[in-house]
Formats: sequence, C-alpha cells, structure tokens
Amino acid sequence: MKYDVVIIGGGAAGLSSAVYSQRAMLKTVVVEQEYMGTGQIAESPRVDNYLGFFGLDGAELGDKFRSHAEALGTEFLNDEVTEIISLESSNGYKIKPSEGDVLETKTVIFSAGCKRKNLGIKGEKEFSARGISFCAVCDGAFYKNKTAAVIGAGDTAFSDALYLANIASKVYIIARRDKFRAGNSLVDAAKKRGNIEILTNTVPIEFTGEKSVDGIILNANGNEKKLAVNGIFIAVGSVPNTALLSGIAKLDESGYVVADEDGVTSAAGIFAAGDVRTKRLRQVITAAADGANCAVSAEKYIRENF
Amino acid sequence: MAVKVTADNFDTEILSFGGLVIADFYSDSCVPCKRMSPLLAEIDEQYESVKLAKINVNFNEELAEEHDVMSVPTLIFFNSGKELSRITGAAKKSEIIAIIENIQKGE
Repeated sequence: MKYDVVIIGGGAAGLSSAVYSQRAMLKTVVVEQEYMGTGQIAESPRVDNYLGFFGLDGAELGDKFRSHAEALGTEFLNDEVTEIISLESSNGYKIKPSEGDVLETKTVIFSAGCKRKNLGIKGEKEFSARGISFCAVCDGAFYKNKTAAVIGAGDTAFSDALYLANIASKVYIIARRDKFRAGNSLVDAAKKRGNIEILTNTVPIEFTGEKSVDGIILNANGNEKKLAVNGIFIAVGSVPNTALLSGIAKLDESGYVVADEDGVTSAAGIFAAGDVRTKRLRQVITAAADGANCAVSAEKYIRENF
Repeated sequence: MAVKVTADNFDTEILSFGGLVIADFYSDSCVPCKRMSPLLAEIDEQYESVKLAKINVNFNEELAEEHDVMSVPTLIFFNSGKELSRITGAAKKSEIIAIIENIQKGE
C-alpha cells in the first residue's frame, strides 16, 4: 500500500492535517483540484480572527499554510478526486483522480471544504459572470464608482461589502432579517461606512437586466420594489463538497459529514476535517484545529489496524 | 512572451493579428488569476504560434466592458481578430489546450 494518508482538499484543514501527518512520519499526499489552491480562505479580502496573523489577506495566509506543509516535505497532487473506493480486504481505500493514477491508502482525511450556495432565483444563472459574482476580491474592480449589492448577512457578506465599499460608490447589503449572523465588529464597521446601506427584512425575488444585470426585484417588508444596481455579490452561506462520500460515510440532512472533534466518521479509516464536518463554527481556525485532530486520529487508526 | 495589452494596442496586437490570440483579462486582486498565470505562461511557451495577451481590468475597464467581461479570470480566444471561444473562471490547462487544438484544427 502506497500511502498512509490521502488528504482530499488543500485548504486550511487539509494543510494542517498534512503538517501533523508529516510530523507523525506518515506517508502523506494532499490532492487539491485547483492549481496551487489553498481553499476558500484565498477569497477573503482580510482575515482578522486567525491567531497571530491580524489583518492579513486571505490569499497570503493560505500561501503561508501551504508553504508550511511544503517545508515539511508534503507531497501535493494537482488533480480532482472522482471516486473513493473501499478495499474491504485490507481496511484501506483506493482514490481515483480524474487525470492521474489511482492512489492506494490506509486512511483518508476528507477536507474538501464548501462552495458558496446559490440563491436559486430567476436571473441568477442567466447573469452569472455578467454582473452576478461569488467573489468580491476577483470581480470588485468592475464596479469602480458604480453601485453594487451584496446578498447575505454572514461574515462573508459583510466582509465582501466592506471590501467593495473601497471601490464602488454605493454598496447595499441585503439581509433577510433584521439580525445578522456576521460578527459584531464587521457589522459595526459596515454601519459606520458612509457608502454602505443595509436593507433589512428584504428578500431578493429576481435579478433583472438585458445584456448584464441592471437591478434586483426585492420584497421589502412585504412590498415589492426594484433596486437599480450594476453588480451583485451573492454570499448566502455555503454547501459542503461531500458528494464523494455519499453512500460511504454518514452525512446529515444538509450534507455535512457526521463527525465529532476527533474527525472519526461512520466509515472506518475516513476522517472529516474543516468545513465539511458537522460543527457549530466554520472558520479558518477551527478548520486548522480539525486538521490536527484528524491526523492524530488517522495515526491511531493505522497503529491499531495495520 | 506574453504581450501587455491596453486600449492603445488592442487593435494591433489582437484584432489585426493573423493568428490565434488568448486574451487573458485579469485583475490584480484576483487569486485564481494569479494561479492561472504560470499555466498560461507554460502554454505560451509550448505553442509558439499562439500569442498570449494580458489585459489588466483594473486599468482597462472600458476594454473589459466592450468585450462583455464582467468577471475574472476570463480568457477570450481570438483567431484572426474574431472571437471563437471564451472561458470564464479558473480553467484547467487541459481545457485551454483543448480549445487551442480545436481552433488550430479548424473545428
């Protein structure tokens, strides 16, 4: 058997697992589908809540994580896993990538992360990349001195709005309720920004436009109205990338892998780390902690079963 | 070698060029753009007849607007000045190569 641990996903959770696995002298490979990818953290304009790195941009923090894993000799594979096959005879797994050779491993640390959730309303698909975006740091530049709206009320929505407020002349935050999931410091910063307006109890119904987006039809406190905007950023939460584990490990009703802090899943030898796991707080710091826990669990499993 | 393209040389470098050009619309803050940059450089080296043109949307908003680019990275494939294909969002090297080879085969 070639590997002790195959880590699927090279974000904070996967890279932290790699650091702990390498230090435990386990033969490890990280499979990451994006070239030099470091997961969702790369899209954060600014990270203020990761211990020791105040105010760093997310991409830079992600690169530091990756460099740390690289410095310990971690092997990386830039490929997309298409299937996890259980080897019943030997307690291990076969991992099938889309391009490279099949990998055999004793354990799997599953840290494939989440992707942003769609709203599922009219106009969203039609205007994707034509005024509708899921990445403020990527596409913010198109709205210099224009009007943008961010849909959502979590940390991502507020931090996207604060980033856009430096570029756009006006930024709306469109929130379903009058309470926000985002941390108080982000909400406070947004409220203090002169060019950010928060619309509460407001639900988007449809995106309008011809060649590109020109507005949103909103239901605001029961009244329908149209808001003219040039760009829309959707940040209404995320969905876990766990389709690969369907039928293999137990998932909850939202698709998260059921596992406690030790990362142990219902499938022997598969451990879940980071945003894919059932837990209360999905942040870069809890992802890193999960990665460490999973590597220790994997090491214990190998010791006891091989 | 990639060519830096702005509104001043867009016509000469891309529209009047008698071959295949990959116009890479990127922005400074876009991480997927940064990650695609070395892949595009490899392709540029591998396919001598293909020209790689880099357009920074931070300084060329009008050019982006003219070509309906509202999200980066966007790659537009021009052949003899005509747009034949485009990819929006991060792309794999194999996807880009497949488009180049299809265009070169005349498909």
